[in-house]
This record gives sequence, C-alpha cells and structure tokens, in this order.
Amino acid sequence: MKRSTAAPLLMLGAALAFFAAFFLAPFAVVIFASLTNHADQSFTLEHYVKVLADQYHWDVIMVTFRIAALTTLVSLLLGYPLAWYLVRVVKWRAWRRACVILLVVPMFTSNIVRSFGWMVLLGRNGLVNQSLMGAGVVDSPVRFLGTELGILIGMVYILLPFIVLAAGNALAQVDPAYEQASDDLGASPRATFFHVLLPLTMPGIISGSIMVFTLAASAYVTPALLSGGRISVLSMLIFQQYSSVFDFNYGGALSVVLLTFTLIMVGLAGRVGNIRGDKR
Amino acid sequence: MITRLLLRLVSWAVLGYMLLPLVVILGASFTASAFLAFPPQGWTLGWYVQMLSDPSYVASFATSTVLALAATFVAVLLSVPAALAMARYDFPGKGAILAALTSPLVFPHIVLGAALLQFGGYFGLTRSFLALLIGHTIIVSPFVLRSVLSMLTPEQRALEEASSDLGANPWSTFWFVVLPLIRPGIVTGSIFAFISSWINVELSIFNTTPALNTIPVKLFNYVQYTVDPTIAAASGATILVVVVAVIVLDLCIGLDLLSERK
Repeated sequence: MKRSTAAPLLMLGAALAFFAAFFLAPFAVVIFASLTNHADQSFTLEHYVKVLADQYHWDVIMVTFRIAALTTLVSLLLGYPLAWYLVRVVKWRAWRRACVILLVVPMFTSNIVRSFGWMVLLGRNGLVNQSLMGAGVVDSPVRFLGTELGILIGMVYILLPFIVLAAGNALAQVDPAYEQASDDLGASPRATFFHVLLPLTMPGIISGSIMVFTLAASAYVTPALLSGGRISVLSMLIFQQYSSVFDFNYGGALSVVLLTFTLIMVGLAGRVGNIRGDKR
Repeated sequence: MITRLLLRLVSWAVLGYMLLPLVVILGASFTASAFLAFPPQGWTLGWYVQMLSDPSYVASFATSTVLALAATFVAVLLSVPAALAMARYDFPGKGAILAALTSPLVFPHIVLGAALLQFGGYFGLTRSFLALLIGHTIIVSPFVLRSVLSMLTPEQRALEEASSDLGANPWSTFWFVVLPLIRPGIVTGSIFAFISSWINVELSIFNTTPALNTIPVKLFNYVQYTVDPTIAAASGATILVVVVAVIVLDLCIGLDLLSERK
C-alpha cells in the first residue's frame, strides 16, 4: 500500500468536506446550544440540570431504555431460533432464500407502514383481539395501543430481522465439524449448544444486539404511532422541542443525553468486535 | 426430535409474524368497504385509483423518488473516490475517518434531523428540496462507501497496477479496469441507499411542508389523525415498490445471505 497524504486527501476531500459541513458542524451547533443560555448566549448547564434533575425525564429515560432492552431481549429469543432454523435446519435453498426475502422486505418497508399495520392489527376490534376472544383466551378486548406492550410488539417486529441476520451470519461461519466433534466426544446436544455453539456465535449476537438496542432507543415513528400519545420516549420529547416548542437549547440537551447513551452502546459494540479480532 | 419440532414451530410462527402486518395492509387496501377492514370485505382497486387521482399523493411519490435518486447519485459521487482512497493509500487517521464517515448508520436520525434544521436555519437552508437532499445524502452515503470498499480487494489492486504498468493513463485505468470491477458494489450500495432514503421519516419530517412532502412523512402525518383505505392503498403501493426492489436485489447479488460457508 502506498504511503502518501496528498492523493488520498484529494479523493477524500469532497466526502470529508460534505461530512464536516453537514454532519459535524450541525451537531457542534446542537452541543453548543445545549450548553448556552438562549437569552445572552452565556455558558450554562441549566438545560442538562433541567433534564437530569427532574423525575419526569428520568421516567421517560427509563421507559425509553426499558423498551429498548426488552426489544433486544425478545428479538434475541425469537431471532436466534429462526436464525438456527434457517442456517442449520433448512435443507432446501430456495425456501431459505424465500425466508430471507421475507425478512428483508419488512426491513426495507418504511417504519410508518409497518407500524400502521400493527395499529390495524392491535386495535380494539383488530385481528389480534378478535382471535384472542374467538379462542376464548380473553373475554373483553385487550388494550395494546397506548401500552408498552403494544410498542414492544411493533419494535420487535421492526428490529428482529437485524438479529436474525447477525446471528445467522455468525452461525453460518461456524464449521459443522465442531458440533460433530462435540457430539462424537459424547456431549449432549444441550451441552454442545451451550459450550460450543453459543460461545462461537456470541460476538455476532452481541454486536447485533447492541445495534438493535441503539436503534430501539432512538426510534421515533413506531413509539409515536403505537403510544397513542399516552407514553413518551426520549425521541418524542426531542421532536416536540424542535417542531412545536422551538426550544433548541433544551432540545439540544435532550439530544445529547440520547446520543451519549447511544455512543456508549456503540463503543461497547466496538469493544466486543476488538476482543473477537484479538482472539484470531 | 422434540426440540427440532419445537424449533420449526417457533420459526414458522416468527415468519408468520413477519408477514402479518404487510398482508393486513395489502389486504385492507383492496377492501370494498368504506372503512379499513381486514379481512377485506369484497375486492376493489378503487382505493388505488382514488390515491393515484389525488395530486398530493402523486406529488409525494414523485418527491420521494426524485429525492432518493438524487441522494443516491450524490452519495455515489462522494463515496466512490473516498472508498478508492481508503483502499489504495495508507495515511494517518484512516480508521477514524472511516468510522466517522459510516457513523450516520447508527446516529439517531431524529437528532441528525433536528441538528440539520437548526444549522440550516442560519443560512435559510430549511424546508426545501436542497435541505432534504443534504440530510439524505449524509445518511445514505455509508451504504455506498461500505459496499464499494468491500469490492476493493488485493486482486483488484493487482489488476489496477497491471493496467498502469502497461501504460494506461489513470483515467482509462479507472474507466476500463476499476469501474467494471467495483460496479456490483456500486449497484448494491445504491439500492440500499435508495431504499433508506425512500422510507425515511425521522430525517425528512423536519424539512417537509404540505407542498413539499415525501410519501413516508405524508403517511405519517395522515395516520395520526385519520385511518382510511386510501392510506392502506398508498402504503400498499410502497410495499409493492420494496418487493420489486428486493427481488431485483436478489437477482443481482443473490440474497442467499445465510448459507453455510466453507
């Protein structure tokens, strides 16, 4: 590889300039606004104090990260078996391909369309309530819309494909010979799973989970639609500040709080990636 | 044996869960009833006709499509040289630059949208097509950058060096050697970029107006107040576009992502 600084700078120049002008600079403006007083532009921490010293905000932060954590957990519990099924059980390539398409189509469909589907399904007279009542599980319609359960169902739906693809990729890399060896040496299928496969696929699972957690914590459309205005998450507060309250200083502080949590998670993802790299 | 059966059942249930909302939207969009109903009551294409004869829907579809094409185009212009520089040269801060350029993938879009709104406010760069284009270019560029980078292998380098050793000038080397080799990466990255722009709500929502609206934002604003089969038809149309895009993607690169590797 050539060592040079002039040529790459020229080729990277446009991308870097664009990125600096429309990503770094706007974000610097947000950080600056979050640390200044609107009236006289003097330095202040009042917006952060307002966010972090108030019980309401902590409740919102708790709800945001509780939904994000549960979304990640449920996606893992549903996604790992599906990944396993697709990689190790399905023998017919065309069917596996169809299943992957079935996972990718929702992933490429707008959050709004997918959440709209769940609004229709989870309504008082929606298909889900009709089926539950028809089966005699419940006597009266269950309220899903405007509850954390409803948001959770919609969020898992949106983020599950990421977990399936991440776990599936990790599983596909594992040589089946390891399982055979473990089996030949007398390990039970359960032991093989917990002592061989799970550790080998762990890095993929963890980085997939962190990505899902990050996206869930910053999701806006799904919670906005499925909360019915009854539940607030951080991203909804941020949108409010910028779109109707027009308090950019306080909105900036909220954004930085959300971003700080997100960056911590991304940092963790990088860490896990590094540990994996070091072992090899 | 029991575990296997259980695994199959769980997997089929999850696949059904993935299919359900899309089937509901598509089904409801064909209902002959005046209200949203699933299972549909009778069949009609009337809601699609009504949607397509509403100029505001057509305009939103057009805005979204032009915006996604333009953002993808600019992203390719910016990211392909950047990817070539990354693959070809060693320079200080390379890892940091790559991490920075791909960070919009995980950066909360709502925060980026808010930041661009505030920043653009200083220059009057808000609520315009250009403002939308800038934001969308930022979020779609990483897709192009990453997929082009993945095509730039040592073998590709060797061919490139052979070409210049044989006396080709840098332009013909790029045009006849490099470009054909990285074309699949550009195509894949562009499809991902197009779709991410086409379905974006969080970023667009800050810079749209009733006159300049993208289809996802229009749907988002509508769904919060009224729900009727026209919205299902508009949503159904976006699903059909995605199905076509995914099938094209599958035929181009093969979406058999989960086969065991040797």
